[in-house]
Amino acid sequence: MLHFHLNSDSMQARISIIVFLSVIILVSSCEKEEVSEFTDTPIIESYLQPGDYLNIKVSRQIPFSSEVSYSSDDIDNLNVQVTINDITHTLQPLGNGNYIDSSLIVSENDNYNLSFQFNSKNVTAYTYVPGKPTNVTQSATQITIERIDTSSGFPSGGLTMPDPIEITWSNPDNSYYLIVVENIEATLDPIRDFGDNAPPGNFFRKQPSNNSSEEIRSMEFQYYGTHRIIIYHVLPDYAALYNQSSTSSQNLSNPSTSITNGYGIFTGLNSDTLIIDVKKP
Amino acid sequence: MIKLNHKIKTLLASLTILFLANKISAQNTEYKEYEFNNHGNVCNFRYICYAQNGDNTFGKRPYIFILGKADESALETFQSDTLKNLTHFYNYMFVYVPNRGGTANNKLYCFESLTSMLTMHYQYGKENMFLSIYDNFINETDINALSLHNVFKTIASSQYPATSTDDFKENLAAYDAESEDEEDNLGTFYYEEEEKVNQELASNPLSSKTYFGSPKTFKFTLSGFIKDKSTGEALPFANVLIKGTNTGVTTNADGYFTLPKVPSDTIVLLVSYIGYATTSIYFSPLLPKNNFIIELAPSSNVLKQVTIAAAKEEAMLAKREVVSVIKMTPKQIEKLPNIGEKDVLRSLQLMPGVSASQESSSGLYVRGGTPDQNLVLFDGFTVYHVDHLYGFFSAFNANAVKDIQLYKGGFESRFGGRLSSVTEITGKDGNQKKFNAGTDLSLLSVNAWAEIPIGEKFSSIIAVRRSYKGFIYNKLFDKYSKSSSTSTLTQQDGPGGRRFSQNAKVTSYFYDLNGKFTYRPTQKNIITLSIFNGTDKLDNSIDNSNAPSFGGNTNSNFSFSSNDLTKYGNIGSSLKWSRKWTDRFYGNTILSYSNFYSTRDRSTERTNTNSSGEETTSKNGLLEDNDLKDYSLKSDYQWDISSFSQLQFGIFGTQYDINYTYSQNDTTTIIDKKNKAILAGAYLQNKFKFFNDKLIFVPGIRANYFETTKKYYYEPRASLTFNITDRISLKGATGKYYQFANVITREDILSGSKQFWLLSDGKNIPVSSANHYIAGLTYETTNYLFSAEAYYKQVQNLTEYSLRFNPSPMGVKYDENFFSGYGFAKGIELLMQKKMGKLNGWVSYTLGQARNHFDVYTDTYFPANQDVTHEFKIVLLYNWKRWDFSATWIYATGRPYTAPSGAYSVTLLDGSSQDFYTVTAKNGLRLPDYHRADISANYKLLAPAKGDSKKRREIGYIGFSIFNLYNRTNTWYKTYSIESGSVIETNVNYTGLTPNVTLSFKLR
Repeated sequence: MLHFHLNSDSMQARISIIVFLSVIILVSSCEKEEVSEFTDTPIIESYLQPGDYLNIKVSRQIPFSSEVSYSSDDIDNLNVQVTINDITHTLQPLGNGNYIDSSLIVSENDNYNLSFQFNSKNVTAYTYVPGKPTNVTQSATQITIERIDTSSGFPSGGLTMPDPIEITWSNPDNSYYLIVVENIEATLDPIRDFGDNAPPGNFFRKQPSNNSSEEIRSMEFQYYGTHRIIIYHVLPDYAALYNQSSTSSQNLSNPSTSITNGYGIFTGLNSDTLIIDVKKP
Repeated sequence: MIKLNHKIKTLLASLTILFLANKISAQNTEYKEYEFNNHGNVCNFRYICYAQNGDNTFGKRPYIFILGKADESALETFQSDTLKNLTHFYNYMFVYVPNRGGTANNKLYCFESLTSMLTMHYQYGKENMFLSIYDNFINETDINALSLHNVFKTIASSQYPATSTDDFKENLAAYDAESEDEEDNLGTFYYEEEEKVNQELASNPLSSKTYFGSPKTFKFTLSGFIKDKSTGEALPFANVLIKGTNTGVTTNADGYFTLPKVPSDTIVLLVSYIGYATTSIYFSPLLPKNNFIIELAPSSNVLKQVTIAAAKEEAMLAKREVVSVIKMTPKQIEKLPNIGEKDVLRSLQLMPGVSASQESSSGLYVRGGTPDQNLVLFDGFTVYHVDHLYGFFSAFNANAVKDIQLYKGGFESRFGGRLSSVTEITGKDGNQKKFNAGTDLSLLSVNAWAEIPIGEKFSSIIAVRRSYKGFIYNKLFDKYSKSSSTSTLTQQDGPGGRRFSQNAKVTSYFYDLNGKFTYRPTQKNIITLSIFNGTDKLDNSIDNSNAPSFGGNTNSNFSFSSNDLTKYGNIGSSLKWSRKWTDRFYGNTILSYSNFYSTRDRSTERTNTNSSGEETTSKNGLLEDNDLKDYSLKSDYQWDISSFSQLQFGIFGTQYDINYTYSQNDTTTIIDKKNKAILAGAYLQNKFKFFNDKLIFVPGIRANYFETTKKYYYEPRASLTFNITDRISLKGATGKYYQFANVITREDILSGSKQFWLLSDGKNIPVSSANHYIAGLTYETTNYLFSAEAYYKQVQNLTEYSLRFNPSPMGVKYDENFFSGYGFAKGIELLMQKKMGKLNGWVSYTLGQARNHFDVYTDTYFPANQDVTHEFKIVLLYNWKRWDFSATWIYATGRPYTAPSGAYSVTLLDGSSQDFYTVTAKNGLRLPDYHRADISANYKLLAPAKGDSKKRREIGYIGFSIFNLYNRTNTWYKTYSIESGSVIETNVNYTGLTPNVTLSFKLR
């Protein structure tokens, strides 16, 4: 308790400063190591496309802190069960967390329920396979793009820019669609000079949307040759994967998932494929 | 008989002659002796005043001042003086000043201040002021050294003696000269010598006792007005105290005060205001009891923090009738270290209870609350966004600000609509007497202002500030713009043509504009129009319209541009009419408009002209637009019912019009909210003063009606101050607070967290409320202030927001999720302040805790984002001649953050891979401790003042300051990524060492 009836004001001041500082020193010396808790929750990756074998990959999270430990479950020895239209099947482990049932082929409109035990919890998920995209049209099956060489400056006299390719389909229930464009040539013939940048991959995609049309501009093609345009009909939980969660400590939160007691994706999808040729003039 | 007649005649004649002679020579022989100044003052002496006609008042008449021979006292000079008997000088006032010996300078030094005082600062000009020096050792050089010819019309000395009485002849026509001394007295002055002349006395004639008679009136009401002596600016919230008692009041926002039940008309008033010398005013029956104008002269070296008046001899407490208030003025802010700009809100962060470790926000975190819970008022209108340049600066130009009051909690019924605190900023009215202008230049921005009075009744001020892309702007912009966009445009349709040279012309700036126009048609009425606009434009766009147009004989043309443009700001204006209806009743009405706008455009725009000539433009990316309009009308009244009761009441009404749209691509609108509602209400409170102002109790209630919910909300409040002794006070306050407009933070990976305003809708976004409980104790002496204050705040119906895809396979679009929760904040603040002296400053320590509870995250309390446990601040200011040095050191324990517990990747259909992080405890960890030191040195630029070789006028200063002196790396937040099978954590840090130079100039 400070006594104020001291000899002089400056004496009071000195004592108060000492009190303040000692409080700070005391408090700051009580630092403790803080570690974020880790719960061994499994990660599931499974896409159910019609015609594929039913397959599931189970893996573990990478822990942030090195001082935590996994549960005792063996990732290749789980009792993974899938119930399809009320019939339950047990999947076989292939190693590396992969499980498959080679007698099960994914088909459209089936309902799939996944379950297995992990870390003393019951991991479950549900999905179904949506219908194939219907009434798919493409505005052109080929597109001619001039090779662009800008290393010597801008081309004079202008460039010919072809119309974009428009893909349309029916979307009466506003569900989600995703377009992926993939070049299937064995060797890649670039349309433009990439200069010092690393060459882009042989595919690109659009944002998942619930529209009924999408445009692919000529500028998006990087290479000549035959391309596959795959229109995926996806479910909302897949589209949610593109809504990446924050990587900042200010607002990290758990990713959205449709899996109970697990993370990742267990989703059905369907697709249709178109072909487009990117030609030189 | 004839002999007798003759004798009688002679006798009668002689008697008559004698009688007449007597009459004539029965002049006044009475003189009056006075003392000038107090003991210890360099000009302390006894002087004598004498008038032949017996009229001892100091008014419109000629004066002859007389300095006697060496070492003569005033009385001796008086007795030996013959000038006073001349009939020519019948109505003159003679003033005899003692010759105290020493150098000529010593003898002549005090004339100016004495003459100024006696003539009420040359009220009737100087044409009839004369000086006669009997001391033979004083010559013309000595007289000129003190510029006495500027004080007296004629000076007679041994070198230039008076030749006739005409030398001192009265000039009847020249009594109402408005001296050009006006010019000299505008501004801040210093004396270049060791012993400062008592500025107070030199400038305020009422500061010495001139009336020695008995009081004539008792127990009357004194009302008046306090203003700055040089500019005429009204001083709001200044203290007026009756010396020797506990009775005192503060002036209101327009500078008016009313002191009821003044004991007698010979009391002494102590008037104080931060940045001004505490002034004693000797009241007398000669002075008016209504419209009594008190002028304070700015002081040069006193920096007081809280509203305390302290007399020089004894410790006195002004009655602090409000609890938890901090007051600042721009004069104080100038001396503190700054980074580019002296900043009003950033300086408040050095006060106890306000968090100083939130470098990226200039909004105030007061007692564990967030900036959106702090009401910011500027001349009556609400400012919704106070940041410039990613929060590093506030939107207030210190050159346009007169006064800032921060109510940290438990604030009175007059304010409402926010949960935590109120920042009330009063803008300058502008110099009422003379034109003034100035400019500041720093490494960040340019600032210019002008004060233009027109006539006697109209004053105005305009201030403009704009940043330029200099060293500091670039440093901050680069740092904060990169970090706020955590990922690049990878997920959107990026422009495929990387080969085209992309002109990334990044233009960014902020500017603000302040304007205030004041018209005083009568003594009782003031009409003010105040305008404010602060805008930030941050443009990271890439513009390809420079690329050659593709045209000619082709199928189609196209052009595209990629935008990254953020524009946000606030426009506000208020029209205010204040009127002092009677001595006891004062009211003002404010009509205001405030518009907050924030647009963000992160998109690529493509215009396509197809072969048939049709043009289509499409935008892909993120477009966000938040627009808030606030139309308000409010009226506030103050009625001094009696000496122990002051009633305050008012009504208010606000129309809100808030729009928020958020869309991805041209076609997908994710959020589209429009809210319109009226919030109206009234408040009533009464300030009771009991036991001779020992106990002050202010109960009040504020009632609101909110149109959206169609409900009434009542906010009862009360505060209590108990002045146990002159030095010790106990305080307490409690109250209920509601908030109807909230800031929602939307987390967004592409563009960083964004904030937008929404009105409560009573359902998803409920009306939030808080309860405050505050208790405090202060101990104060002349030189020191010790204060301890504890607070506890409970907050209900907080809202957090998240925008996510609904993960259920049943599928719905983007889903808005508003999560409700509650929380509390509590803490203790300790402050120790040294108020006086060359070295002054304060030390403060706060121990606090802020916790939230949101079911969506966890079912326990977790630390709020702004929770800081220990915060220690020390601010030191030192003045030495022309230099003002300051140093601050801030130490705060780390804020909480959420770390991932694990991470995983998912391969997508196109073959690419996406990383995800899982978390366990929200805000479960703490960042490392934050600490930094800042220093600054300001050098005053002085110019010679007219008419006095010793006086210097301040025309500006050069400031040097270093922010983060020892370049401490303080962590702002962390980011995570997965590399080679492990989770990598990267720190994003705050600003390192940043030096700054500021040049500031002003006319006066």
